[in-house]
Amino acid sequence: MGTSARIAGHDRSDRVMTPPPDTTNPAGYVGVRAGRREDRPLLLGRAQFVADVAPAGMVEATFVRSTVAHARVTRVALDAARAVPGVLAAVTAADLQDVAGYPHLVPWMKEVNAFPLARDRVRYVGMPIAAVVADDRYAAEDAAALVEVDYDELPVLVSVEAALADDAPRLYDDWPDNRLLDMPAADPDVDRVFAEYEVARATYRMQRQSASPMETRGVVADYQGGRLTVWASAQSPHILRTTLAMMLGLREADIRVVVPNVGGGFGCKVHQYPEDIVVPWLAVRLGRPVRWIEDRAEHLMTSIHAREQRMDVEAAYDSTGRIHALRCRIATNVGSGEVFIPGTATTLVSGGCLTGAYAVPLTEVSLACVVTNKTPSGAYRGFGSPEGTFAMERMIEKVARRAGVDARDVRRAMLPDPGDDTFVTPSGGRLGAGSHRQAFDRAAELGDQALATARAAHAGDPRIRVGLGVVPFVEPTGPSYYGTTAHWRAYDSALVRIQPDGSALVGIGVQAIGQGIESTTAAVAADALGLDVDDVSVVSGDTDLCPYGLGAWGARGAIVSSGAVLKAAEIVVSKAKAIAAGLLEADPEDVVVDRGRLHVRGTGAPSVTMRDIATAAYARTAELPPGTEPGLEATVSYDPPGIDLEPDDKGRMNVAAAWSNASHAAVVKVDITTGAVALLDYIVVDDCGTVINPLIVEGQITGGVAQGIAGALYEHVVYDENGQPLSASFMDYTIPSSREIPPMTIEHIETPAVEMPLGVKGVGESGTIGPAAAIANAVGDALREFDVDIVATPITPTSVLEAIHASGANT
Amino acid sequence: MKPAPFRYLRPRSLEEVLAALAEHGDEAKPLAGGQSLIPAMNFRLAQPSVLVDLELVEELRGMHDENGALRVGAMVRQCDAERSPLVTGTCPLLRDALPWIGHLQNRSRGTIGGSIVHADPAAELPAVAVALDANVDVVGARGARTLRATDFFDGPFSTALAPDEIVSGLRFPVVEHSAAACLELAPRRGDFAVVGVAAFVRFTPGATRVEDAGIVAFGVAATPVRLALAEASLRGAELTVQVAEAAGAASAEDVARPTADIHATGDYRRRALAELVRRALDSIASRRGVA
Repeated sequence: MGTSARIAGHDRSDRVMTPPPDTTNPAGYVGVRAGRREDRPLLLGRAQFVADVAPAGMVEATFVRSTVAHARVTRVALDAARAVPGVLAAVTAADLQDVAGYPHLVPWMKEVNAFPLARDRVRYVGMPIAAVVADDRYAAEDAAALVEVDYDELPVLVSVEAALADDAPRLYDDWPDNRLLDMPAADPDVDRVFAEYEVARATYRMQRQSASPMETRGVVADYQGGRLTVWASAQSPHILRTTLAMMLGLREADIRVVVPNVGGGFGCKVHQYPEDIVVPWLAVRLGRPVRWIEDRAEHLMTSIHAREQRMDVEAAYDSTGRIHALRCRIATNVGSGEVFIPGTATTLVSGGCLTGAYAVPLTEVSLACVVTNKTPSGAYRGFGSPEGTFAMERMIEKVARRAGVDARDVRRAMLPDPGDDTFVTPSGGRLGAGSHRQAFDRAAELGDQALATARAAHAGDPRIRVGLGVVPFVEPTGPSYYGTTAHWRAYDSALVRIQPDGSALVGIGVQAIGQGIESTTAAVAADALGLDVDDVSVVSGDTDLCPYGLGAWGARGAIVSSGAVLKAAEIVVSKAKAIAAGLLEADPEDVVVDRGRLHVRGTGAPSVTMRDIATAAYARTAELPPGTEPGLEATVSYDPPGIDLEPDDKGRMNVAAAWSNASHAAVVKVDITTGAVALLDYIVVDDCGTVINPLIVEGQITGGVAQGIAGALYEHVVYDENGQPLSASFMDYTIPSSREIPPMTIEHIETPAVEMPLGVKGVGESGTIGPAAAIANAVGDALREFDVDIVATPITPTSVLEAIHASGANT
Repeated sequence: MKPAPFRYLRPRSLEEVLAALAEHGDEAKPLAGGQSLIPAMNFRLAQPSVLVDLELVEELRGMHDENGALRVGAMVRQCDAERSPLVTGTCPLLRDALPWIGHLQNRSRGTIGGSIVHADPAAELPAVAVALDANVDVVGARGARTLRATDFFDGPFSTALAPDEIVSGLRFPVVEHSAAACLELAPRRGDFAVVGVAAFVRFTPGATRVEDAGIVAFGVAATPVRLALAEASLRGAELTVQVAEAAGAASAEDVARPTADIHATGDYRRRALAELVRRALDSIASRRGVA
């Protein structure tokens, strides 16, 4: 067992146990529990966000958005808006003649032909129809309120069931149905196994959610001297630049994307939204800097949603509860589908990771991404895994109950033996070295203890039931982008430059979005360069300075940034040694690097500092060894090994560089008179391989678990039958606060990933994957006397009370 | 989320306020703590062309005992009432209800009168006023009048107030030999209630027999709802566990068609209301020292 920590919850300050910072690690900075370099400016209010960017002469944009869910737009009248004092422009799609539509990247998806402003059809409430620019946002909104839009309304589809009906109206006239992505599966072997065994069936549903980061989206654009600068709150600055170049007809060299501090992304800022294109276009056209900052209402209505998915699961099991075959039909409600990067890949992950590390010999998984008249869905932390894990873990509970066996035994029997690093999932995931059963056993042990405490605390209260749910899962990390985009793969890049003063500048293609990548990259670079960590600067989010990279998503940063930094540092150190050898008149092979000094092996040997090397490299270049070029830097990319681009003959492919694993245990209290579910305890045993900084890993897990709890119990994007959003503010979209989040116990097991740099695996999304499954199982456990089957999230007081009463219980 | 254009007035006296309202009629809107009105304006759900800020009007402030009633000025901040020994000593139901309003930040701006006039069906203070049969003091250019709280609330966000009138204060009767409790269920602490109960019970002096009760549900209908059957079930009874349970069960009959929305179904509200009434009465019994 590695380190463990107790993370403070809302009312348990007496139980907080934060280990003291470990500053004594003689081996270097990796593995040290160190404070984050990002935090000081954030905590002092000095961090700059996109809303703080204000070029001289800046004007503001706002958007006129569809008020109906599905209609032909027959007329947009802008004259009244244009007449408002202070208005500089009011434009529709017709004005964007020189703008190309979003590219169609993925051949296995139908073509959506999305355009930044509605051309003649709107397919969700909030879809942008026109943009208005004025001296300030107030005037812009006053003018936008005067824009008249005539709609010829069309039938509205809000559910996958309605959209998949044979006679359903179609969202896209040139499609044969409403399936944006359709991957049916049929396997006669599965049919044979189903004929041999008992079969359990259930339909599971997860609800639509909004990422709702603390900082909403935003974009500021300025076009000067033939060069476009775009400041954005984005997770993938280079891909934004590529998209802008494609759509605006500019060269990438003529665009600079700058991402200041980002107040959370969680996936929603991976996408390139209409505003990201229209605002820069307006800046070019007006010759004025233009700003648009998304307000919270816009965020809830139009930033991508996620997770709304139906999963029909059937399991063939024997008398021990062991599952011999699993069939699953997944239908994801992807909203209108008009989003770039496309929002279909979460469904692939749901299906591909459905059985986690369980040995299920046969699976048949059908996937469909179904378009409806809701906001497009896309990436959200967890990316399909919370959905699939919820369905799988509920099905195991059902199977165990029907077989009359302990679900914990069922899980243990299907998890790989300790030390088994050969496990391959049904979809081809090569899990490599992990700790599936150890993590599960430890979480179960801690969960049992917490449950006993909870039982004792609530014994004798006839209205309270307590329960425990323990679930194992895997997290695909450092994944390929290919399945999402049919482009790129999993690589990222780093620039490592020794500055003339001997300090290091590290530029990375991964984007800092609050996850601590600057701190972890600095630790990795400092160790690799033999520098003090304070002499390493890390920069992300500037396409002029940082090498091309894919950004922050997919729990990839620790893997790909470390890999690229290590490769670049190796080149730089090798050259530094050669220069040092020249200065010291020694053999480069004998030079070692240690905290800013390079010296000849052996005690009392002469040494030079990295500053001396840098001076030689940049200024006193005559002192360089013959044939050595001035300068001391390297820019390299790193593409992690082991990722498949093409499926094998059984349709299997490994899509992640490394697979983390974890087990979560939730202890809940259910009030059977009000249906209220409260979390008493939450336990995480996580294995993300080598831990670069335990503090950062625990921060990632804590935040992720909080978001998972939000999905399990609180958050729900709700539409009415006309496609009107009903959860349009934080009054109705109920994000939990610190008062709803319980204390957490987090333990680490470190099973290094053999082929990964430093042995790291990703961890960014892990926390969100377990909670829905663990909490649903805990609620089911608490209510076992009522034989309640939790089949949907969020688990609300209404749903709990309905389930209890449906069971015929007299409470 | 920017408000439509409006004029902002900041009168220094009640007289100036009433003159402004008389001049601008329903184009004008008085601004108290702004915890509901300002968000509504930012969403452009409310677009008053004149905002009349009551901040500087001394006549609308202050709390005092007035002939057996607690008089609370309309512009008294909720947080000030919450911390007031006078409120604690004379109106325990109000004291019990105040911490349920939003978060501390809301209560540090929000006012007693603002909450009453906003008339959110899920808000605490209208329910407290109805439970205690409080008087609502109203002033306008045409004179002053007093309304019973039960007559004040017309429907969701709708009151008997005319556009040129404002509430100047509330008078909560001081009920001797009573105990009170306010409870609610909400998705998160600080949210508007999905179901709430404001209840007080007046006991026979020196005894635990119920003389009278005021029990009001909020969050379940267009206005606060007096739970007449539940109240009737208590009169003359000893407030035992069984009686509390029976009153809870009776409350289900008091609300014919409970509100249904994205947070809870009507059935849920009816069931949870019965439980909340029971809990409120349990709490009242223990505060009264009923064994």
